[in-house]
Amino acid sequence: MTELSLRLAVSLAQIAAVMGVVMLTVMILTLAERKVLGWMQDRMGPMEVGPYGILQPIADGLKLFFKEDIVPAGANKFMFSLAPILAMVPALIGFAVIPFGPSNKFELFGITVEPFVISDINIGILYILAFASIGAYGIILGGWASNSKYSLLGGLRSAAQVISYELNVGLAIVGVLILAGSLSLVKITEAQSGGFWHWYVFALPAPQIFAFVVYVISAVAETNRVPFDLPEAESELVAGFFTEYSGMRFAFFFIAEYANMVLVSCVAAAMFLGGWNAPYPGTILEHVGLGQFAWAENIAWFTVKAYLFLFLFFWLRATLPRLRYDQLMKFGWKVMLPIALGNIVVTSIAVYLFPR
Amino acid sequence: MTKLKAWFKTIIFYEILVGMKATLSHLLHYKPITLQYPHEKRALPDNYRGMLALLRYDDGTEKCVGCDLCEAACPSRVIRVVSAEVPGEPTKRYSKEYYMDMTRCLFCGMCVDACPVDALGMTREFEWAVYDKRQLHLNKEQLLAIGDRSFPVREKRLELQHPNVAFFNVSFGHVPQKPN
Repeated sequence: MTELSLRLAVSLAQIAAVMGVVMLTVMILTLAERKVLGWMQDRMGPMEVGPYGILQPIADGLKLFFKEDIVPAGANKFMFSLAPILAMVPALIGFAVIPFGPSNKFELFGITVEPFVISDINIGILYILAFASIGAYGIILGGWASNSKYSLLGGLRSAAQVISYELNVGLAIVGVLILAGSLSLVKITEAQSGGFWHWYVFALPAPQIFAFVVYVISAVAETNRVPFDLPEAESELVAGFFTEYSGMRFAFFFIAEYANMVLVSCVAAAMFLGGWNAPYPGTILEHVGLGQFAWAENIAWFTVKAYLFLFLFFWLRATLPRLRYDQLMKFGWKVMLPIALGNIVVTSIAVYLFPR
Repeated sequence: MTKLKAWFKTIIFYEILVGMKATLSHLLHYKPITLQYPHEKRALPDNYRGMLALLRYDDGTEKCVGCDLCEAACPSRVIRVVSAEVPGEPTKRYSKEYYMDMTRCLFCGMCVDACPVDALGMTREFEWAVYDKRQLHLNKEQLLAIGDRSFPVREKRLELQHPNVAFFNVSFGHVPQKPN
C-alpha cells in the first residue's frame, strides 16, 4: 500500500467518523429541540414513537425518505435540485477543521495521524466563514428557483440577513485572532489551555466578552433561527425558502440548518470557550495517572460546551418572538457592528500595550 | 440615574433575561398539562352532552310516542320523525321512522328538553369520527342501539300506560352497530 492511498484511507475514515457523529447529533437535535421546546411550554413533545418518543427522528427520517418529491410547475429544475445540496454541503464541510480533541499524534504504518481533527489547515476559521457564505447561496437559489412568491421573499430576506450578520461574525472573531495570532482553530484552542481564565472570553489583557455576545447573537441570526428566523417566518411566509420543497430535498435543508447550528456551536466553543480544554488546568485523568485517556475527558468537555450552545438555541427559540425586518437590520448594523468594531480597537490597543 | 439604569438594562438584555428565566423555570418545574388522548381520557363533566340516543322502558318498549316536538325544537333540523298510529289502537301513536342527521347536530340538547316522555337522552359518547358521512345518518334502530348501550338502567314503565305499545319493538339484535 502506498503512502498516498494510506493517507486517503485514514482521511476517509476520519471524515466518515465525523460525518456520522454530526448526523447523529442532528438526529438528536431534532428530537431534543421538540422535547425542550415542549417542556418549556408545559407540553410533552413527541411521545408516541418508542418510549417517550425517542425514536421520533427515525420515524421522521423514514417519512421524509418516502415522501413524494414534488417540483413545482415553472420551477427551474436544475437550480431547484441544486439548492438543497448547496445548502447542506457547506454546512457539513466546515467540520473538517474543527478540533474535537487534543492534538495527540501517533504513527500508523509510517504516516502521522491526528485523530481528533480531520485537517489542521492554517486558515481554518476563514475556511469555515467562506463556506458559511456559500451556504447562503443554497437558501437564496432555493427561494428563487421554486417559482413561488413566499420562497422568493424568504430567499431575499435570507440574503440580506446573512450578509448583515456574517459581517458581525467575522468582526467578532477578529479580537480572538489578534489575541491568538493565528487563524488555525487547532492553534487557537491550544492557546487557551490551562484553566478557564485563559479562555478568550475571560482572558487578559482583553476579555472578549462583548465579542462573544456579538458572535452568539450573530450566529443565531446566521443560522436563521428564532428570533431571527425571518427567511422561514411561518406566520408570514408559509415556510419561507423551503415552502415548495418536500421529501429528501426538504430533509437536506433541514439537515443543513441543524448542521449549521452544530457548526457555529463548535466554532463558538473552540474560539471563545477554550474548545476541548477543561476549565481547570490539565485534566483529571492526567492527574490520577491515566494520561493516555486524557483525550476522552477533553472530548467530553468539547461536547458539553457545544451542547450548551445548542441548548441556548432552543432556549432562545422558546423565549423570544420574531424580530421585525427593520429591527433586524437596525440591530445588525447599528448595534452589533459598532460593538464588534470597538472590540477590535480595544483588543488591538490592549495587545499592543500588554504584549505576551 | 434612572437613565443610566435603563441604559444598563438595555446593555445586559434585561428583558430578554427575564423572559429566559421564565422559560427555564418552566423547564425545571416541568409539569405538562398534556393529556395523552387516545391512551388516557379526560373526565367528562356530569352534564356532558354527547351523542343523542332513543331510550326504552324497562320492559323493552320504546318511550317515543311520535309527537314530533323534538323535530320542532331542533334548531338545525337534525331530526325527522314519521309518526303513525299503533295498529289496532287508534288512540296510541308511535314513531314509525325516526332519523337523525348527526352531521348537522350541534348538541344543544333542545330536543331532549322538548321531549314530553323523556324518550331522548344525551349519552357521553363523543368518538364518532367516521370515514363516510353517510354513517352519521342514523335511523331509529341505530339510535335505540346507542341508547341501549349507554343507558343500561331503564326507567320503569308506568302502570297507566298500555302495554300493547310494546309489540312492535321487542329487541333489536340485528341493528347496525356503531362503526369502529
